Amino acid sequence: MNVGTAHSEVNPNTRVMNSRGMWLSYILGIGLLHVILLSIPFVSVPVVWTLTNLIHNLCMYLLLHTVKGTPFETPDQGKARLLTHWEQMDYGVQFTASRKFLTITLTPVIITSSSFTYPRFRYILTSFYTKYDRVHFVVNTVSLLTVLIPKLPQLHGVRIFGINKY
Amino acid sequence: YLRERERHDWSHVHLASCYGGLYGRPFIESFEETPMLVAVLTYMGYGILTIFGYLRDFLRHWQIEKCSIAREKENQKDFVPLYQDFENFYTRNLYMRIRDNWNRPICSVPGAKMDLMERTSRDYNWTFEYTDRVVQDVINLGSYNYLGFAENTGPCADSACEVTMKYGVGVTSTRQEIGNLDRHEEMEKLVAKFLGVESAMAFGMGFATNSMNIPALAGKGCLILSDELNHASLVLGARLSGSTIRVFKHNNMQSLEKLLREAIVHGQPRTHRPWKKILIVVEGIYSMEGSIVRLPEVIALKKRYRAYLYLDEAHSIGALGPKGRGVVDYFGLDPCDVDVMMGTFTKSFGAAGGYIAGKRELIEYLRSHSHSAVYATSMSPPVVEQIITSMKCIMGEDGTTIGCKRVRQLADNTVYFRKRLREMGFITYGNNDSPVVPMMLYMPAKIGAFGREMLKRNIGVVVVGFPATPIIESRARFCISAAHTKDMLDRALSVISEVGDLLQLKYSRHRIQPSPARPFDDNVYEDIDD
Repeated sequence: MNVGTAHSEVNPNTRVMNSRGMWLSYILGIGLLHVILLSIPFVSVPVVWTLTNLIHNLCMYLLLHTVKGTPFETPDQGKARLLTHWEQMDYGVQFTASRKFLTITLTPVIITSSSFTYPRFRYILTSFYTKYDRVHFVVNTVSLLTVLIPKLPQLHGVRIFGINKY
Repeated sequence: YLRERERHDWSHVHLASCYGGLYGRPFIESFEETPMLVAVLTYMGYGILTIFGYLRDFLRHWQIEKCSIAREKENQKDFVPLYQDFENFYTRNLYMRIRDNWNRPICSVPGAKMDLMERTSRDYNWTFEYTDRVVQDVINLGSYNYLGFAENTGPCADSACEVTMKYGVGVTSTRQEIGNLDRHEEMEKLVAKFLGVESAMAFGMGFATNSMNIPALAGKGCLILSDELNHASLVLGARLSGSTIRVFKHNNMQSLEKLLREAIVHGQPRTHRPWKKILIVVEGIYSMEGSIVRLPEVIALKKRYRAYLYLDEAHSIGALGPKGRGVVDYFGLDPCDVDVMMGTFTKSFGAAGGYIAGKRELIEYLRSHSHSAVYATSMSPPVVEQIITSMKCIMGEDGTTIGCKRVRQLADNTVYFRKRLREMGFITYGNNDSPVVPMMLYMPAKIGAFGREMLKRNIGVVVVGFPATPIIESRARFCISAAHTKDMLDRALSVISEVGDLLQLKYSRHRIQPSPARPFDDNVYEDIDD
């Protein structure tokens, strides 16, 4: 099972996100995570939404923007060794279908999580609860930004403060 | 509800009318699309394996689990690392689990049946131990033994013995210096006659033929148009040559034509000067897909746009065509249309090595400019004799009809095997006439399971997975041989069906054979007259 045995695709990692059924699996994965979190008895629904958002963004940040290189040896002498998976996708071409898909699916989660907090707690007149709903929103926004900013084309290959450079 | 989208449709009639009768015969290829449920489950499988891989790495790092892989020395831990840990992730966590399906030691001639040395592992495939038993008579569905010349008895083996007695085994020189035997000259004349071209030249290794000769043919300022699924040797040769490489979609003539037109119109990348030459590199049979190149269309395009054609017939020489002369013979075309014909002796001739054939000027040029010709050792005399004898046998020049029979037997075996597999409900890729039959497995666990279950039932197969294939398209690849009798094929097919039911591999959406659960109607006999 060596890389490059029978096709000229130098780095198979670039095509993984485009393969058949990957987008569906991704959405099903998020759905499964959400259902698992919903089945924990003592957490309320808006907290579950926030947790889904946080865990999804954390996993996405780790897998797409932290882990560098390929889990197998490629025949191109390691050109992609210092690139994260997001930077490797489609050989660095920006605004391809998979990149747009992964960027756009970030937003519904935050909208649903914040909408769940807002209408629910708007009608509860104690200031204690209105403090929570701002907290939820801030947490969700920060988490979204950590995943949204690395996807921008201006940050292709940029390592802030030298974190994760080698 | 038949949502199958074939990449190449069954419209041989459509093609014949569209291209003015370019194809003399039906060209039926199919690559059934992955069912969506199977794709999702495959990703889930890889996801679970990745999570467990990270867990095991964590345990190994914290010394909770024993670590059997190569690591840096303790006193060199602070140095710049020699290898990147992550690059080995796939090997340690996925490949090692199912490693017993590859590198199996064979202790007999790899003909239609072979003997394997039995081995066991006590630490989950990190090390192997040989029990002293030999698994006898395993049906061999993995060797590229298309015409059955991998044998240790018969005229080929006898003549190889005689030549070894006369010339020895080693040549101890390169072709250019003092290693050019008269057997080499005779073999090259024979190869040229076999293919119907002016002249040919042989090299010791098939991979080296491609990787060392393409740099001699193309250089800077040239354009190489290569198929998506070309073999690693062609890709390496193209990269070593230093020319611009453009890849067209697999067997897709519209993509090739588009690239040709763009290349000719725009010229070289920055200077827009015309290209020095354009070389189209295709293979006869693609061994991972089992598809046959659309040679009539490629030749029509090549003539129209004045490009050169390099045809790699590694798997198709001897295996296709009514006379066994390869894919040119299969389509009934003129060998002079292909500029450079390349092939290997490893597959259909039971020997080792490769050849390049074409016009006399081309071969004379390669004799002095190719690295393989100048620096590589020449072929060993018994191997050369095997090639000569087997080629004479296929051509019918040794006075018997064995060669002719074998070619026909291979064609029959291929058609029968593919038809039965499709009827059983497996998804197979490729052309109906190609002796390479990839059968889809899709999920990573089924790769290991299929290989092991087949071996338990005494059949040896080759399984391939990611990253040699796309991530969801792991497969088992069968290579049909003329040496397989119909009984062997029937036994193999029944075992494959049994394992397929056990592992649920029958993914195909359109079975030809109806399910056997239909009630038998006794009233049919009432019409018979006494």
